[in-house]
Amino acid sequence: MNSTFTGVTSQEYKYGFVTDIEADSVAPGLSEDVIRFISAKKGEPDWLLDFRLKAYRHWLTMTEPDWAKVAYPKPDFQKIVYYSAPKAKAPKYASMDEVDPELKRTFEKLGVPLNEQAALAGVAVDVVFDSVSVTTTYKEKLKAVGIIFCSFSEAVREHPDLVKKYLGSVVPYSDNFYAALNSAVFTDGSFVFIPKGVACPMDLSTYFRINNKESGQFERTLIVAEEGASVSYLEGCTAPQFDTNQLHAAVVELVALDQASIKYSTVQNWYAGDKDGVGGIFNFVTKRGLCKGRASHISWTQVETGSAITWKYPSCILLGDDSIGEFYSVALTNHKQQADTGTKMVHIGRNTKSTIISKGISAGDSSNSYRGLVKVQPKAEGARNFSQCDSMLIGQTCSASTFPYIEVQNRSARVEHEATTSKIGEEQLLYFQQRGIPAEEAISMIINGFCKDVFRELPMEFAVEATKLLSLKLEGSVG
Amino acid sequence: MTPAVDASPLSGLLTVPRPEGWEALRTAAEARLTGQELPDTSLEDWKYLDLAALRDLAFRPAVAALPALASADVQPYVHPEMMASRQVFVNGFHAPHASCATGLPPGVRFFPISAASEACRLLGTLGEGAPDLFEDLNTARFTEGAVLLVPQNVRVEVPLHLLFLNRPAGDGALPTVLPRVLVALDRGAELELVEEHHGEGAYLSCPVVEIRVAEGAILRHERIQRESPEAFHFGALKAEVARGGQYHSRTLSFGGRLSRQRPRVRLAEGAEATLDGLALLGGQQVADTHSFLHHAEPHGTSRQLHKCVVDGQARAVFDGQIRVAPGAQVTDAQQQSRNLLLSEKARVDTKPQLEIYADDVKCSHGAAVGQLDPDELFYLQSRGLDPEDARNLLTYGFAADLLARIPVASLRRSLRHLVLARTQAASLGDLA
Repeated sequence: MNSTFTGVTSQEYKYGFVTDIEADSVAPGLSEDVIRFISAKKGEPDWLLDFRLKAYRHWLTMTEPDWAKVAYPKPDFQKIVYYSAPKAKAPKYASMDEVDPELKRTFEKLGVPLNEQAALAGVAVDVVFDSVSVTTTYKEKLKAVGIIFCSFSEAVREHPDLVKKYLGSVVPYSDNFYAALNSAVFTDGSFVFIPKGVACPMDLSTYFRINNKESGQFERTLIVAEEGASVSYLEGCTAPQFDTNQLHAAVVELVALDQASIKYSTVQNWYAGDKDGVGGIFNFVTKRGLCKGRASHISWTQVETGSAITWKYPSCILLGDDSIGEFYSVALTNHKQQADTGTKMVHIGRNTKSTIISKGISAGDSSNSYRGLVKVQPKAEGARNFSQCDSMLIGQTCSASTFPYIEVQNRSARVEHEATTSKIGEEQLLYFQQRGIPAEEAISMIINGFCKDVFRELPMEFAVEATKLLSLKLEGSVG
Repeated sequence: MTPAVDASPLSGLLTVPRPEGWEALRTAAEARLTGQELPDTSLEDWKYLDLAALRDLAFRPAVAALPALASADVQPYVHPEMMASRQVFVNGFHAPHASCATGLPPGVRFFPISAASEACRLLGTLGEGAPDLFEDLNTARFTEGAVLLVPQNVRVEVPLHLLFLNRPAGDGALPTVLPRVLVALDRGAELELVEEHHGEGAYLSCPVVEIRVAEGAILRHERIQRESPEAFHFGALKAEVARGGQYHSRTLSFGGRLSRQRPRVRLAEGAEATLDGLALLGGQQVADTHSFLHHAEPHGTSRQLHKCVVDGQARAVFDGQIRVAPGAQVTDAQQQSRNLLLSEKARVDTKPQLEIYADDVKCSHGAAVGQLDPDELFYLQSRGLDPEDARNLLTYGFAADLLARIPVASLRRSLRHLVLARTQAASLGDLA
């Protein structure tokens, strides 16, 4: 083997620090009492408690899925802390000055653009810190055009009818094992509502961060775009370094009505465990968008670089005629990471279109799988899908798999799937080196080229971050 | 819920006494069968193939056709190129009067498996992966089949014919045939084998074919499944190709109400394999191909082209897995699944899969589901064909592509006629 690819060293996790804030937690364990406690703590209406309890009772009847190509010790659900809120000095901060300085420092280290930084970056940030939303910026500005952007708890208090109407309408509580668990115990998340005809004037952004060592993060995101509305939503995730495995089971629901458009971008960089596979986040997430209206449009873009285990399939249900679903993904795994990720495109309406572009990069001893479903139902006249899934392997001990499921029940449909597997060619590297570009830099450039189709879809700030993140994660793997 | 085998219709087959020979193999298979349930669609492997139709049926071993088929009955299935190199089985029983293996070069042995001794140590050792229910059933209870042995460096010029005719009479329970075939090519040997399954009436057929291709040997294998429209066919094929060997197969599925082909091929260093397939379906047929191609060692090459043409309310399933083992560097694997849906109720489910554990490889796969190209239709119409003929001709072309390289001329011709008839393109004249 070429010696260029041999020196595998560990890349330290840049965001691994713990913030010491007195948490207001419930004892570990899950029962109806814990769910009642969470619900009471958050002052929720009865219908929401009912929803949680129904989900919990259904979850008890379910078994953990094992079809994904990932191996991990099954989490002990009785050892997880289901509620952990940073202890507030006052019920709500009047200004940024009142926010715990420790907390602010955490965000500064993370580089979250908050307050003035937010203004400079032009981003409104709803920061979720261990399940409770701490501060929301730009709310007023958005309110002026009728947009609701707030924490999930606040939405339950202020806009119960909207939440009741859409919660569980895309991902029912019975959907799958982790969605059921989330429906029972979710603590907070984000809520976005874009009214009819409004184009959201700025990108909305949320940073999620898991802080408490034993806490699971069960956030819930609901985004509704009414007729003709449009929004671009960014989600970034980091978690500090712990040697136990933490569970992250989120549910994201998107609803797009007639001609509405939702673009959802994620950069996921949860702690992936160390180079021997100790610790790291179990990222078991259910993300689904419903193109409910005619000519609606939902687009998922994800850059997955973190987590010990990733089990994630952002999907589109193309119900409305002429609706469009898109999925652009870069998934990078290194060391002992395992990722089983992809998408589902369910064509129900006429002339629906979907595009899937997936780029998988595996290095070290990692395992990286694309798993996707394209389903064309009998009434989906003229449905069209194009999928391209490329994998790149770096080193001899990693693996790359492609598992596309294609189910077609309408003869007018056209579905195409292509997948290739390759490595960085020695000739390519030589070409760069001849021109004075060191191997490490050359590899970074080749990988950026490989991922170009996906990065192009990211908002500018994210594209820059994603590019840096990939070279950071691969540092030391090659060269 | 699915009943256990003890309570399932298949249990009727296990109550017959265990045949002589291969005791250890049979005991192991039977142990696996005991208490095993008929798989249902909640299992990933059976997700697209519902065996519910089998649950309402009872099965019993097929009996020899009585009166024995006259040679006139067999004649239509015999190809002139393979007159003196054929073994014929009726209802799973060897038909000596219809068989003839006198035209083989010295040293080549082609004979019924009932005449083989357990010295055939290869049986049950080839291939990898867990057997399914139907393969275990065959191993536990097979009584007949064929053995084909080709010695070192013998290049057999004539193609060989393995013909399975099924005409079982029903008496309430569904007759079951369990043919077993073992093919072993020694170093540098070369052979062309045609395996055909024909039938009438309702029955269950579970053939198991085991193949060993030694270093540098070449086997070309044509497999034609023309079971009756009421029949069930669950076939397993297990092949091992040694260093530098080649195994090229083409599986053509036309018959069967419910059928599955389950080829599994293991390639050693520098070995080559082709695993092509065609399923031409109509009515209520369901045909499933579950293939596994394992590049276990470096420098292997594989090509797989699987085509389905689906009409009526039929359903085609393709689940093709290619695995490149750790260290199997410089593997070159290509897989294609191409599907044509002809009717409103037709359905196709395809799942091409790549699992790769080595970095210096060239692997790709593709899948396409669609209808005929409107430009091609327009072209033919502009040359004076009416729309229906144009559609039929293109459909024929899509399917017949796989028949072109069948080396036995009479077989190629008869299959082309069959495809012409099935695609309603016969009215265009004799294109075969």
